[in-house]
Amino acid sequence: MIDSILLVDDEDLFHLVFEDACSLLDMTLSLEALNSSDEADKLFKQWFEEGPIDERPECVFVDLNIIGSSFDGIELIRKINNDYGNGVVIGIISSSDDNQEIEKAKAVGAQFWIIKSDEIEPRLEDFLNDYSGYEKKTAPFKVYK
Amino acid sequence: MINGKDTVEEALRKAKAKKVYLEGNFVKLLAKSLPTDVKAYTEECKERDTKARKKRLEVNKRVQSQNKELEEAAVVKEALVLELQNALDDAEKLRDEAVEDLDLMQKRTQFELIGLIVRVALIIIVGVGVTTTLLYTTAMLADKDTTILGNAWSNLFGILLTNSFSIIGTIMGVKYATEKNG
Repeated sequence: MIDSILLVDDEDLFHLVFEDACSLLDMTLSLEALNSSDEADKLFKQWFEEGPIDERPECVFVDLNIIGSSFDGIELIRKINNDYGNGVVIGIISSSDDNQEIEKAKAVGAQFWIIKSDEIEPRLEDFLNDYSGYEKKTAPFKVYK
Repeated sequence: MINGKDTVEEALRKAKAKKVYLEGNFVKLLAKSLPTDVKAYTEECKERDTKARKKRLEVNKRVQSQNKELEEAAVVKEALVLELQNALDDAEKLRDEAVEDLDLMQKRTQFELIGLIVRVALIIIVGVGVTTTLLYTTAMLADKDTTILGNAWSNLFGILLTNSFSIIGTIMGVKYATEKNG
């Protein structure tokens, strides 16, 4: 089980879907969802500069295109990995399967890419099976289709 | 009512008696080593929570899928509206061109008709003039009485000249007016 998860996605309905899917799969007991990359950026900056660092989530799922935000999911991952001390399992959860975007995400340190679909649970289950590898940074980048 | 001094077990028993079921991840935090009756209640809570979540997940997925369909339909609709607008613009352009062509054709027909009238009028004028002149000349050369013929010739020639100028004037007027409007 993952200690805590943060979801950054502009779609409220997906927050509910993700929360229920996580609960049914016993993925975590603590799930927080944010609507914009700016909010997430602010939180990570605060945790990095002022602490406490252990308040940071263990795993972060970021949407690729977050409407109403100043920057996209890839930029948020870059910021978290380069500017705010890294240390979290982080990746993209998006309906897009654009190879160029996937490569960009990989380049900034995303560890996984989950494609959103009606059947999200099997993908999350596969992700959960690989999770220890992501935690130890030994698992290679993977796209969950 | 559950009081602050109640233990977790007592609180759970009271909730069970009132048929109030716990929901969410909190149920998962409850210790597994609870007395049998309370454990049965928490298990039921878990079961109910799972059922409710499954149902909610299905409903949300359906709504999400319908939203997606609506978004796609909106994109298609927008493309259709754009296509219709373009078709309407093209149709209006074609209509304008057709009206212009029709106008041009009408003008050409008018000019052709005017040309025909002018030709016929000139033929009649010249024909009558030539015939009368020939008759008059023949009468003069044959030393016949030319009083009536002379008067008729001069009258006819006067009328013909006046009319021919009138026709030319009308034609010039029509042509000038047409050119100005066109």
